[in-house]
Amino acid sequence: MTYQPPEGTLQLPPQMSTIAPEVDAMYYDIYWISVAFTVAIYAAMLWFMYKYRRRPGRKAKPTGHSDALEIFWTFTPLILLGWLFHAGFQGYIAGVYAPEDSIEIRVKAQQWLWEFEHPGGVIDVPNELKVPVNQPVELIMSSADVLHAFFVPVFRVKRDIVPGMYTSLWFEATHLTGPQTCDDSTPCDDGETCYWGSCIPTCESDADCVPALGNASFCGGRINDDERICAYPVFCAEYCGAMHDNPNTSGAFNDPRGLGRNSNHSTMLADLRVITQEGYDSFLALGPPPPASCIPADDPSCDSEECLTCWGQVLATQQGCPSCHSTDGADGTAPTWKGLWGRDRTFEAGVAGVTADAAYITESIREPQARIVQGYTQAAMQPFRLSDKQIAAITAYIRSLN
Amino acid sequence: MTVDAAAAPSGGHHDAHDGVPNYLTHETGWKSWAFTIDHKRIGLMYLWSVITAFILGGVMALLVRTELMFPGETLMEADTYNQVFTLHGAIMVFLFIIPSIPAALGNFFLPIMLGTKDVAFPKLNLGSFYIYVLGTIFTLIAIIVGNIDTGWTFYTPYSVGRNVTGADVSVVWMTLGVFVLGFSSILTGVNFIATVHKMRAPGLHWKRLSLFIWGIYATSVIQVLATPVLAITLFLLMMEKTLSIGIFDPQLGGDPVLFQHFFWFYSHPAVYIMILPGMAVVNELIATFSHRKIFGYMFVAMSSVSLALLGFLVWGHHMFTSGMSEYSTMVFSALTFLVAIPSGVKIFNWVATLYEGSISFASPMKYALAFIALFTIGGLTGLFLGILSVDIHLHDTYFVVAHFHYVMVGGTVFGFLGGIHYWWPKMLGKMYNERWANVAFWFVFVGFNVTFMSQFIMGSQGMPRRYYDYLDQFQPMHMASSGGAYILGVGFIIMGINFLRSWKSGEKAPPNPWGSAGYEWMTTTPPHPHNFAETPVMIRGPYDYDLCTELELFEGFHEDFEASKTSTKKKKKKA
Repeated sequence: MTYQPPEGTLQLPPQMSTIAPEVDAMYYDIYWISVAFTVAIYAAMLWFMYKYRRRPGRKAKPTGHSDALEIFWTFTPLILLGWLFHAGFQGYIAGVYAPEDSIEIRVKAQQWLWEFEHPGGVIDVPNELKVPVNQPVELIMSSADVLHAFFVPVFRVKRDIVPGMYTSLWFEATHLTGPQTCDDSTPCDDGETCYWGSCIPTCESDADCVPALGNASFCGGRINDDERICAYPVFCAEYCGAMHDNPNTSGAFNDPRGLGRNSNHSTMLADLRVITQEGYDSFLALGPPPPASCIPADDPSCDSEECLTCWGQVLATQQGCPSCHSTDGADGTAPTWKGLWGRDRTFEAGVAGVTADAAYITESIREPQARIVQGYTQAAMQPFRLSDKQIAAITAYIRSLN
Repeated sequence: MTVDAAAAPSGGHHDAHDGVPNYLTHETGWKSWAFTIDHKRIGLMYLWSVITAFILGGVMALLVRTELMFPGETLMEADTYNQVFTLHGAIMVFLFIIPSIPAALGNFFLPIMLGTKDVAFPKLNLGSFYIYVLGTIFTLIAIIVGNIDTGWTFYTPYSVGRNVTGADVSVVWMTLGVFVLGFSSILTGVNFIATVHKMRAPGLHWKRLSLFIWGIYATSVIQVLATPVLAITLFLLMMEKTLSIGIFDPQLGGDPVLFQHFFWFYSHPAVYIMILPGMAVVNELIATFSHRKIFGYMFVAMSSVSLALLGFLVWGHHMFTSGMSEYSTMVFSALTFLVAIPSGVKIFNWVATLYEGSISFASPMKYALAFIALFTIGGLTGLFLGILSVDIHLHDTYFVVAHFHYVMVGGTVFGFLGGIHYWWPKMLGKMYNERWANVAFWFVFVGFNVTFMSQFIMGSQGMPRRYYDYLDQFQPMHMASSGGAYILGVGFIIMGINFLRSWKSGEKAPPNPWGSAGYEWMTTTPPHPHNFAETPVMIRGPYDYDLCTELELFEGFHEDFEASKTSTKKKKKKA
């Protein structure tokens, strides 16, 4: 399956959004205007430098004065500048107000991590942004700590993310980022796995694809990998610092080069994948796919207990479950997961005889305060928004701990 | 056709001036420098200080470029890199470029070009210098005690560093340093304004002022009006940091965008504090080396003043993506385009001055011509950034970095270097080697363009600024940029050696080696402790080449004042 990515120019990256051609047209307008002015000024300078170079007998003529000339070159450029302002402002306003039919994606930026929450509360793995093609998307952005800025060069969009307020931007992607759709008759390229109808980069080992977070391989590190477009980068464009001294790695952090330290402004990158509407719909229904390393070759849709357990373990770590729920039977601020599956639960409200089954685990994740296990009133677990498939994976993992 | 500086007709009779007292030798000992109120000595002390700061900032720049030659870790870790680029910016802006031309060259030449003995408040002038030294000490403490990594803009809430991984107490030292440096800037501005208004020599009316004076005057106005805002902003930042008063930190109910407004309300006018003096020097160079009055003198003078005023109205263009309202964005964009008008007027008039001139290509003039060429690029790329839709893409990328380096280095630093080459013989009484000055010029010119032209392309391709690490696709451009930086560095080393050799064993400079009609060349070389033995009466403008004979230009007007040599003793006071 060959895929022809859109090409950029020497000065500008590929155009991947509806506004990109307009922005680029404006860029080249001012570029050629600048070239014309520069050439004219340089030509005049060089000509005068040659013609009036100092040589024996050459005496400067006294400077004359011309109000007409002064007024000409003071006021004529105003017309050009007025046009530039007007055209630039029009283009800007077009990029400010999102169309009515936009879908909303929430962007949460923190040092040095992107998190994207899709309609229906589906939260993708960190540093991974999937958007449907030919569909306006509005991003509602907030920051947990310092200033950040969402910047996608191929879309020509950028907006600061300011703690204490919401900012937004919108775009409509016009091209898929890679050979996305696949089925039995149209397999993916080498190096990709067909998953839920989309091609996802395959990883050789966990180290390749689970740099720190367990998301798919860090393809965003390369725009062009042997002609294969994996993803385009989302940059943080507003300086957001670095970690001092001993890095606190308890939170998730982005470490594309596997240095194991020094998360910083320049590593705050996300992978942007433009996928088909069908692919996006299945993503919304099923949640983010499991890490490719969990998917066996004979089970591409991850239905087996092995695959789900593997995924569940990764998910539990990502979501921070083990900080309260031990997996070895030790008592923590919340009940241990070891041996939990199938056990009878007794609740604070006195109700007993409920078995810890799939329905109970689903409720405990989505509505943790609905029924509190006796003796754990101090545990203040918040609801987690996970897809059914993700919950199935965590359930499989809990089951595996028996 | 180049007039070789060393070979310029100097006549034999400058030897006869050995008996004339000069400001360098009439008093000796460290106290005569430490407690001097002679504006020339203070200017020279500023000159050495800003050159030291420039070398320090330049080393930081080379460290940054070396780190960026390859993706991943090349030389240092990310924290260190963030500190190094912060120091590069802060040192270059606050310790070098803002005081560079006004405090060093301005201090030295403003009174001479006004035909007066000193600035209006000589003791205040010395005070300004020591305040600068104090501010520098605080800044050095910040460098030594801590790890300041906020960028030179100190954007909140990162710089406040509360509940986030952020800069530590060294931010307080650094902002205190910049706060103190601001007072030096304000007091120098007040001093210069008073001097220009009250101390002009007889016959020196406003329309005869050197365009250098006009530029420094406009700069001083900005310094006096804008710097207090920076002081207040940094004071609030220090209070926020130490007392948690909640001005800028959203966790305390503050607003981080407010900081950006405050900061740029100073720092955009500060851009004109940086560039106007560079333009001011270029006026002198073009006039002198074309032997022609600047075309449209009054328009050029007024363009400096209008840049100074317009500079106060466009700070928002640093914040187009910051989340301020669309109306503000619109107004700031429209006003930003107006800045192009006075900048264009200057360029057009400079080029028109060359027309029918008699153009010498001595090293100072090379810097002036390079200034026009580079500032044209710097100015026009500013239009890219003024256009809202295009700015959204280019904001906070290397395109911006390249743009302001074309203005700040291609403009101000080239103006500063041109000024030093031009006035060095007058300041120190020694000639430098013109051949090596030319070699250094070409290294600097080529190195500069290689360094920053590649950054334009990187930036428009989407490379964000202040990145320690980058995607592999940007590597060739980063490599080119770093290579250019090394060429630039070699140029500065050649230049430095040339000046040091000149200082130590340079040929004695004639009073007017360039054949300039400017007032500062009318005095002896190095200048008399009181600038002029007797107060000169200005009977012509500083660019009236048609009123001077060839002999006057090269032999110097000092003859007119030499007669008063004998009367200097009775006039001599404690300098």
